[in-house]
Amino acid sequence: MSQPRTANPRWKLALDVERCIGCHACSVACKVENHVPLARFRTKVYYWEHGKFPAVKRNFLPTLCMQCEDTPCLKACDNKAIERGADGIVRVIPDKCDHLGACETACPYAAIGCDENDVADKCDFCSHRLDANMEPACVETCPAEVFHFGDANHPQSPYSLFMAKHGDKTAVLKPEEKTFPSVVYKGHEKAMESKIPKGKVHDPYSYEIETWTQLESQFPKKNRVIWAKVEQTVPGAKK
Amino acid sequence: MKRRDFIKVGAGAISTLAVGEMILLSPDADAGIMDWFRTTPKLYGTRKSYRRASGKGRISNDYSKATIVKGVCLNCSTVCGIQGYVIDGKLVKVGGNPEDPNNGKSLCAKGQSGPTINDYPERLLYPMKRVGKRGEGLWKRITWDEAYNEIAPRIRKAMDEGKPEEVAIQIGRSRIAEEMNRFLGAIGSPSLFNHRALCSSNKRAANYVCLGETDWETGDFANAKYILNFGSNFYEAHQGAIHTAKRIIRGRYDNGAKLVTLDVRCSNTAGRSDEWLCPNPGSDGAVALAMGNAIIAANKHDKQWLDTWSNVGSDELASWIRAYTPEWGEKVSGIPAETIRRVALEFAAAAPRSIAFTNRGSGAHYNGFNADRSIILLNAIVGSIGKVGGYCYGEEPTRVPPRVFPQPKPEPPRVTATSLIENPPEWPLANKWQRMKVGQIVYQGLKEGRGKVQVYFSYTVATPQTWPEGRSLTVEVLSDERLIPFHVCSDIVYSEQAHYADLILPDASYMERWGFDTRNNMELRDYVTLRQPMVQPPAECVSFVDSMIEIAKRVGPDTAKYFPFKNHEEWMKIRCEGLTKRVGEDGFEYMKKHGVWQDMTKPQYYDLYAWELTEAQMKDTRTDERGNVYRKAADGKESIVGLMVDGKPRRGFATPSRKFAVYHKDVEDAAKQVGFTEDGGKGMPTYFAVPSIEKMTNEMLHLVTFKWNVHTQGRTQSQKYLSEIVHHNPMWINTDTAKKLGIKSGDKVELTTYRPHGHQMKNGGEVVGKAEITAFVTEGIHPRVLAISNTLGNLFHGRAATAKKGKRQQVPGWIESLDNEDQDLVEDIWWDPKNGGTGAGYNVNAILPIQPAPLVGMQGWYDTVCTVKKV
Ligand code: SF4
Ligand code: SF4
Ligand code: SF4
Repeated sequence: MSQPRTANPRWKLALDVERCIGCHACSVACKVENHVPLARFRTKVYYWEHGKFPAVKRNFLPTLCMQCEDTPCLKACDNKAIERGADGIVRVIPDKCDHLGACETACPYAAIGCDENDVADKCDFCSHRLDANMEPACVETCPAEVFHFGDANHPQSPYSLFMAKHGDKTAVLKPEEKTFPSVVYKGHEKAMESKIPKGKVHDPYSYEIETWTQLESQFPKKNRVIWAKVEQTVPGAKK
Repeated sequence: MKRRDFIKVGAGAISTLAVGEMILLSPDADAGIMDWFRTTPKLYGTRKSYRRASGKGRISNDYSKATIVKGVCLNCSTVCGIQGYVIDGKLVKVGGNPEDPNNGKSLCAKGQSGPTINDYPERLLYPMKRVGKRGEGLWKRITWDEAYNEIAPRIRKAMDEGKPEEVAIQIGRSRIAEEMNRFLGAIGSPSLFNHRALCSSNKRAANYVCLGETDWETGDFANAKYILNFGSNFYEAHQGAIHTAKRIIRGRYDNGAKLVTLDVRCSNTAGRSDEWLCPNPGSDGAVALAMGNAIIAANKHDKQWLDTWSNVGSDELASWIRAYTPEWGEKVSGIPAETIRRVALEFAAAAPRSIAFTNRGSGAHYNGFNADRSIILLNAIVGSIGKVGGYCYGEEPTRVPPRVFPQPKPEPPRVTATSLIENPPEWPLANKWQRMKVGQIVYQGLKEGRGKVQVYFSYTVATPQTWPEGRSLTVEVLSDERLIPFHVCSDIVYSEQAHYADLILPDASYMERWGFDTRNNMELRDYVTLRQPMVQPPAECVSFVDSMIEIAKRVGPDTAKYFPFKNHEEWMKIRCEGLTKRVGEDGFEYMKKHGVWQDMTKPQYYDLYAWELTEAQMKDTRTDERGNVYRKAADGKESIVGLMVDGKPRRGFATPSRKFAVYHKDVEDAAKQVGFTEDGGKGMPTYFAVPSIEKMTNEMLHLVTFKWNVHTQGRTQSQKYLSEIVHHNPMWINTDTAKKLGIKSGDKVELTTYRPHGHQMKNGGEVVGKAEITAFVTEGIHPRVLAISNTLGNLFHGRAATAKKGKRQQVPGWIESLDNEDQDLVEDIWWDPKNGGTGAGYNVNAILPIQPAPLVGMQGWYDTVCTVKKV
């Protein structure tokens, strides 16, 4: 569905994750839309269960490319195969990519992956859908109205309207990485940031138990997200 | 194996099968695939077609070239409106239909996965006839003409013998029940065997008892302030999940509603609720009654509402409910009396913007019918029935209104033949308000000879996989040619149902066929949606309705006359004629264009029972001194048709008393009829314990099942992006319990299940089965409950469902079909055990006993008791 945009849009996204029901619709919509192969995710929903019975709570964290303003993947690529558009979207230039893999190592958000069968692959806010005046696939489908996406330059875009109301309650993920993401979150559990791998693309393990409590016998450590305690800095509330 | 020279092997070979050629479809037909795999070219099949010409990067969908076609999802029973984007004749994507009042542009993960069904390289493409033993998996490709000529004469024979009821159709959530009823009606058979008793019949019966005219409430969640959820997991799996979740999210985060969930397992819903209460299994009804007691004891009930609208007034209700104190509730449920009292009073304080509602957690028990009645009663106690933000319901929520979409004439006459399987007298309420039936006893019934079949169709169902005792009793009966002499299965992929058929008819997917749909509308209006082909089905696939029409035409003129139309499309077109005058344009074109029609002529269904009767409706009535409005029917029998309230004649509830029915005579009579006494025999929603649970020894545990948000019972496992997310179902066990039993996450445990005790139950306490399963230790489950998801462990449905990567098949000529191969399935099923993955999970239904609850017959899914030990 089309939405208000300026002649020179600057695309940004705010996620109200308290609303998230962990349904994976965003992930699957993205995979169908972009023909993302098995074992790879451009966007992934992390689960976290905590507390002692019966005071148990579950949190979800949908993640995707943060479209960072200070762009680690771009800086890491010797082939200059990654560019950042004036619209704020970070894109791979396929013909320049020789899958060197430096981008994957540089990304703090597990958002870009490189394999020998294809070029580097990442979320580009469904640029082809934006071109057709449509919302990104994940944004459109979310049943819980988590995503507030739009042109930050237009005051009536869903993003701007949300930020005007709730901007002071939003924060970026892993602020200590100082990448200035274009994607902000409201109400996420800080502890969950450590579930997002750094330096490697998302594990395919999803909502399965292997990311809830780790099963060494079945899922060797080398294949899974390590719950390394990341030193937490106080999240800088983005206005 | 010599046979392989002339017999093709595996579902993938279907695409190259010529008429007369044979194919072997069996669980281990895939051996040896790795040899081929080593010579796999780098890029092929659909994956290649998505690549840019340089081979680097993928082509994006060009939406400027897309045609949008409206339709309806059927990856689950929520039936969201969808729109498909078709580019160059291919369905590339679906999204929610923004015009659908229930879901708008939202879809869940299953809905989004839809297009992968059409493209699945293992789809059934041709009619096939069994040539080996039943269940061996040896098939021959035949023509449609041959297929129809196998079926029609057999139906003719049953009709000519005066045994039309021996033509039966076994269905899951087909959404073509109206079409099937016409087909069976033309034959004269009542034998439509459905799955309602395995799904929700206790909940539906409870709504019918209380409200009289609907089986499914429509909570006005977006306007509610307090939502008390008894055992529904609407964030993942409830019928109407997305529609409900969307409103509840709005209610909570935009409107400040509080959500309290009762569940024995920490579902996504429970884990995200403001409060999760974890009652003992089967005690939901006790909690509800204790809450009712607490509200009335604190004098917070809506006396006026009860005295006006309830068939048990406030004083009588107060004295009846007096025994069910919160302290008693604590003893039964394990939930502290103070919590019961506090939540009850919070609920009452928010009234009438408060909703207490149910689903399988409360209903799928021996006592679930009464539990659900007690929960619905809570809404009456606080006067929130029909109110803004309360427990609402509509007139025609779950059927396509015949007043708008009439069936073409002539219609088949009422079926007079009967079947003890379709209408078993032991469960007198199963077919009382709606033909919900007792689906789980079909195979037992056939085995015991309480009914016979000559022709058995199966459609959108996989009973060996989804029925209790599916892999034992179900398979035993499906394999026995004396009990089921002829089995025709219409399906999309080679399923467990198809494996035991004699004839396979390749079906069209829900994105390739016609049909109406509807369900309760959260906007409280009647609405109807249209399924239409977004793309044509592949190869020789034909939608089952079109097959039925063709069969009916071949059985004889006496059946053909009820099908005076070419195909399903023309049938739908005729039914849409009634819409033309309402929408001011051709009704069929309107439906195709919008995908949905909503009746805006009536007000929203708030306070439906208080709607005034019109003068026309009051004609020929009399009103007595109590305010009951009576009318005589043609047979001279008088019944109450309305109530005088506030000096105006009003509609009331569609119950015999026109009042909200706490007491119901039909329930009292039904219990007497079958000698069921545990409910006290007074037709009231009393609490009684589940006998199997009462008889549990200390070392026994409860075993419950659940559904993931990315899967539906039997139909989603072949969809690669869904199975990628969930393909494994370990057994959840509470941390403390696991410690006592010496069980750690990842340990293999042995589970033994036992037969139930109780009314109409035989052999209580005997072992049903054993399974070896992986344990998952968690805080998120009741200490005496084990939980295993019910949707996995497929033996068929192709590579994605069975976690077997590799090429489709080793057959000559396979390279030609490489173009429609999916490289994902050949190389990237990373959860294949060959990669060290977890595989495709377990089928737990196999060891769950058949246990129909008293009166209604709903399967007591969550009454299973078991023992567990580490192996
Ligand atoms: S914006 Fe598009 S590419 Fe990015 S995560 Fe969402 S669906 Fe995927
Ligand atoms: S679609 Fe929305 S609700 Fe579902 S997991 Fe993604 S963000 Fe959460
Ligand atoms: S809830 Fe999901 S699977 Fe069910 S109908 Fe809606 S989109 Fe389809």
